[in-house]
Amino acid sequence: MPIEVLLVEDSPGDVRLTQEAFRDINRSVHLHIASDGVEAMIFLRRQGVHTLAPRPDLMLLDLNLPKMDGREVLACVKGDDSLKTIPTIILTTSEAEVDIVKSYQLQANCYLNKPVQFDAFESLVRSINDFWLTKVKLPTRGKANE
Amino acid sequence: MATMQDISVRNAAEKNLAQMEGKYRGLLEAAPDAMVVVNQGGEIVLLNVQAEKQFGYRRDELIGQKVKNIIPEGFAERLRADGLRSVEDALAQQIGTGIELTGRRRDGTEFPIEIMLSPLESSEGILVTAAIRNISVRRDAEKHLAQMEGKYRGLLEAAPDAMVVVNQRGEIVLLNVQAEKQFGYHRDELVGQQVKNIIPEGFAERLLADALRSAEDALAQQIGTGIELTGRRKNGSHFPIEIMLSPLESAEGILVTAAVRDITKRKKAEAHLLQKVEELNRSNEELEQFAYIASHDLQEPLRMVASYTQLLSKRYTGRLDSDADEFISFAMDGASRMQRLINDLLAYSRVGTKPMDLLDTSSEEALEQALINLRGAVAESGAIVTHDRLPTVLADEMQLVHLFQNLVGNAIKYQGPGIPRVHISVSKNDESKWVFSIRDNGLGIDSQYFEKIFGIFQRLHKREEFAGTGVGLAICKKIIERHGGSITVESQPGHGSTFRFALAGTK
Repeated sequence: MPIEVLLVEDSPGDVRLTQEAFRDINRSVHLHIASDGVEAMIFLRRQGVHTLAPRPDLMLLDLNLPKMDGREVLACVKGDDSLKTIPTIILTTSEAEVDIVKSYQLQANCYLNKPVQFDAFESLVRSINDFWLTKVKLPTRGKANE
Repeated sequence: MATMQDISVRNAAEKNLAQMEGKYRGLLEAAPDAMVVVNQGGEIVLLNVQAEKQFGYRRDELIGQKVKNIIPEGFAERLRADGLRSVEDALAQQIGTGIELTGRRRDGTEFPIEIMLSPLESSEGILVTAAIRNISVRRDAEKHLAQMEGKYRGLLEAAPDAMVVVNQRGEIVLLNVQAEKQFGYHRDELVGQQVKNIIPEGFAERLLADALRSAEDALAQQIGTGIELTGRRKNGSHFPIEIMLSPLESAEGILVTAAVRDITKRKKAEAHLLQKVEELNRSNEELEQFAYIASHDLQEPLRMVASYTQLLSKRYTGRLDSDADEFISFAMDGASRMQRLINDLLAYSRVGTKPMDLLDTSSEEALEQALINLRGAVAESGAIVTHDRLPTVLADEMQLVHLFQNLVGNAIKYQGPGIPRVHISVSKNDESKWVFSIRDNGLGIDSQYFEKIFGIFQRLHKREEFAGTGVGLAICKKIIERHGGSITVESQPGHGSTFRFALAGTK
């Protein structure tokens, strides 16, 4: 069974890196891309072009995004009873204390920094895979929002 | 004949006296001044006790005598009619005005007097009442002032500042040319005027006695200290002044000499300096902000370059030709060096932008933490690091760890062959600050580079010899400066180096 992961990321370079990393690590991951916050919400609510979108098992969310930034997306998701059980991982270059604190206040499930080198990035994606997609027990799809 | 005349005058005088005795005696005697009544012949017909006292005669020695005996000049003449005026007119001209003359006592001594004349009608015709005041005290005071003027005038005029001498009633008694110029008044317009006219606030108040202090004490409190006030010119414009007060003893009591300096230029310079300092601070802050933002934003594109060259290397090394492998390796090396530079620049700008937490900090614990962070380098080099017992100091703990880590790290890094030895010692200086010394047995530094090594991105070695971005000592310098100290180095090539910095102890 494929694992549905939503990556909310505006940088094509980062999108590709994430795709490359998952390709090497776990081929059963199905990576969906939203390039800004508005598109992310449309995907999650299965509106417009995304009416047939699956409910993601995990969301990787960048903070600095056009139109609607990651903090707003996080607030919407965690304030929505049907979406708040989706584990949401902040994946950003920001090391600012204020961003870290704010993210956890908004109920982010964890906060990760993007490393500079590919090796380090790949190893981070591997950790995400090993923990969030392997060891962690997630609610069964279709039961989570009941 | 002369005797006959005398007798007739005396008789007439006696008759007058008898007539007037009842009328005026009481009035005359009540007057505070000497009073002498004279007829138009210039002969004294009446006088009071004060007149007897003042001139040293008994009453009967003066009655009927010429008034010239006691006021030799200027009085009798004034009473005479001449071709141009009648007696009444002559007298009328003098009435009520104070005339300054000289009185002569019985013993021949003279003294200054002021007389006031008034007419008195009698059966004999118009008599003249003269109120005579001894003004020798006033004259003395005037003379004293004139003397003082003479003495001090030269001094006052030689002074570069405006000088104003003021009495305890706040009246200006003396001033110099500079004061005239500075306040735009002519001397005559100021002498005798309240000093408040030219220094509206803060000066006159300082001279007054109050319930808590005498005039002398009030003045003593102000002597010698520069007081910044505002001066007012004749045209109403204001300007900043500094006044210095000093006491001046005189017959009138203590006077105050005020040296008044126009400090417009100084005030402007001060304001200018303050503005420049603010500008400099702002520009420094902006620069630090800029360094932070720039280094932070540079990381984004760098991540792409570094990540993709690495991905390229991982996927394609050995699958293209050997040139391609070399190019990829140079690109990777450049990207990782740039990453270190940016990280160090970020670290450097963080030292300047992060708020400091100055607390009592154990420098020994800070050093131990630094040595834990340096574990790898210490183990690899086999370095022997020793230290004295280190004190508690006032410092930001994180920054102190950073400081030790950079300095001990450098001491281990810049070594020739052999085992690095590093010793950290401490002593107290004359300002009772703790002076830390980090001594090594390393390569040493030529004295011409002592300043350069603390600059950002300054390096003395080729990259192949020693890695590094040249930011470490710049960070050390900034940390120490933020703690209010300075860092110095003492070294000789081949004989090791000693870095020193001072920190305040605990309160």
